[in-house]
Amino acid sequence: MDILNKIERFFANISKQLSERPVLTFFLFGLVIASIGFLPHTGLIRWGTMGIFAYIIIFSVVAMGLNLLLGFSGLISLGTAGFVGAGALGLGVFMNMGIPFEIAAVLVLIISGLLGALIGLFSLKVEGIYLAIATLFVGEILRQIYTQVEIFGGQAIRIGSVRFLGFIELSMINQMQRSFLFLIITGFMVVMMVVMHNIVKSKTGRALMAMSRSQHAAQAMGISLLKYRLTAFVLATLFATFGGVMYGLYNQNVPTTAWTLDLSLFVIAMVIVGGLKSIYGTFLGVFIIYGIPNLWLKNYFGDISYIFSGILIILVIIFYPHGFVYIWYDLKKQYNRLKAYLSQKQVTQDE
Amino acid sequence: MSKPLLILDNVSMYFGGLKAVDNLSFTVNEGEIVGLIGPNGAGKTTVFNCVTQFYKNYEGDIYFSAASDKLDLRNCKVTDVIDQGLVRTFQNVELVADLSILENLLVGAHNQFQTGIVSHILRTKKAREEEKALREKAYEILKFLGIYEIRDLYVKGQPYGVMKKIEIARTLMSNPKMIILDEPAAGLNDRETDELETLIYEIKKKYNTTILLIEHDMGFVMNICDRIVAINFGKFLAMDTPKKIQQNKEVQEAYLGSDA
Repeated sequence: MDILNKIERFFANISKQLSERPVLTFFLFGLVIASIGFLPHTGLIRWGTMGIFAYIIIFSVVAMGLNLLLGFSGLISLGTAGFVGAGALGLGVFMNMGIPFEIAAVLVLIISGLLGALIGLFSLKVEGIYLAIATLFVGEILRQIYTQVEIFGGQAIRIGSVRFLGFIELSMINQMQRSFLFLIITGFMVVMMVVMHNIVKSKTGRALMAMSRSQHAAQAMGISLLKYRLTAFVLATLFATFGGVMYGLYNQNVPTTAWTLDLSLFVIAMVIVGGLKSIYGTFLGVFIIYGIPNLWLKNYFGDISYIFSGILIILVIIFYPHGFVYIWYDLKKQYNRLKAYLSQKQVTQDE
Repeated sequence: MSKPLLILDNVSMYFGGLKAVDNLSFTVNEGEIVGLIGPNGAGKTTVFNCVTQFYKNYEGDIYFSAASDKLDLRNCKVTDVIDQGLVRTFQNVELVADLSILENLLVGAHNQFQTGIVSHILRTKKAREEEKALREKAYEILKFLGIYEIRDLYVKGQPYGVMKKIEIARTLMSNPKMIILDEPAAGLNDRETDELETLIYEIKKKYNTTILLIEHDMGFVMNICDRIVAINFGKFLAMDTPKKIQQNKEVQEAYLGSDA
């Protein structure tokens, strides 16, 4: 009992410190994830496992963008995959022209951001299910462009080794360098988490929420629907495209056929299963929808693993309709119940 | 003699064939508390929506003379009205349920932020100081309204009376010259209504604002207002002190029907 109290006090202290310093928390979270990048060297996990985690990291960034759109702004997009593809393929095309990685990344981000702004303008005219259909076809158009237009080439675009920051040559093939790439994308994820946190805790985040909860009140408070719809779509596209850039950087070989509606729908599921408006929830959602099936279920169930992952997702939605991130509150409740039980037991023993 | 702050000059508003507001003219002077009354469907909220520019296609003119002299509000976008010092509440409380009370107040201060999204992302010194200053301002208003202790709770789940208070607090964040209250006492119990009465007096005194309100609770309206505008079917009936309005034949008829 005493030990439990001591442990509790220890963690209460830490969690208080951390909740006051969200950026530090993201950094520590990033450190934990980054350590996965070195485990394959020790033989504790396989290289493939690290690859799955890399995808989790990339999808987390993409899903965070969609969370800004869906969770905060109440808008929907079915074109996410198209923008992830834009990031990855665009990076490939520019880099094959001989443009350095950093400049190529900025270029695709600018192009995608402009496209996002265009959809934002569009969203002022159409709402709800109509917006979903409109963005569905934006995604479809992009997909067609990637597979049909010559400059993206046949099956895939090879990027090859990336010269990062102008002097570190990083290739996917070299094991040490692959760990380093993993480290970099983890760093990118942490940065994007901080960016998202700072946005949603600022005037912009509050305006996005006010806009989606009550348009009239938002306008009366001076919040322009035009400006914040554009902001929401541009941010979501930038996050998605940045995810694509991370994909290109890590994989260094980008398929042209992977950017389908399936992926967009999975990203939506990730946001909803993990928890709307929650940054860690988004990561959790990606972990459940992409991570668990690929890390474990596939090994045990092989081809029918998708049935199990489907059931798993349905169960999560039934028990945690507001997102799996709320399991934290349940755990706390259970813990308190356990503590009450133990202290009662002790009282009876003392007697 | 106090100067006119809000002037409605022959304002009409149609919805299809229906004339919701019919050639309505009245003036609210600086420092007054004015009540707008009328039976259900008289067009009261429509008047508010015209004044705050939610409806743009009204006929006639609406002038507001706070920031600049006799500004035609039609030239303001609906989102710019608040910059003029004109701010409103809503009949059905319109707050962000999944933000804290404090954050809802900061939504009301939206137009006072100078820094942009980039400085927010980078959390520059200027952005942090600005946020802090506006938070302090919100604290002061929350203390004034007696809801400081619960500032970090979500709006969702708060009692109706508290939500009404939060909405009023939110209007105060924008340094208003004039507050337009759409049925502030609706859904409140007697004690809360009395409290609201004192509160509106204190707001007027402390923040030096003019108040225009719609209310069905006649006791409340008669107590609090300096002058009352009565309308029926969008038409002007009378504008006078509460006592005289009570004695006005036309107003009585509109509410109770004529003897004949």
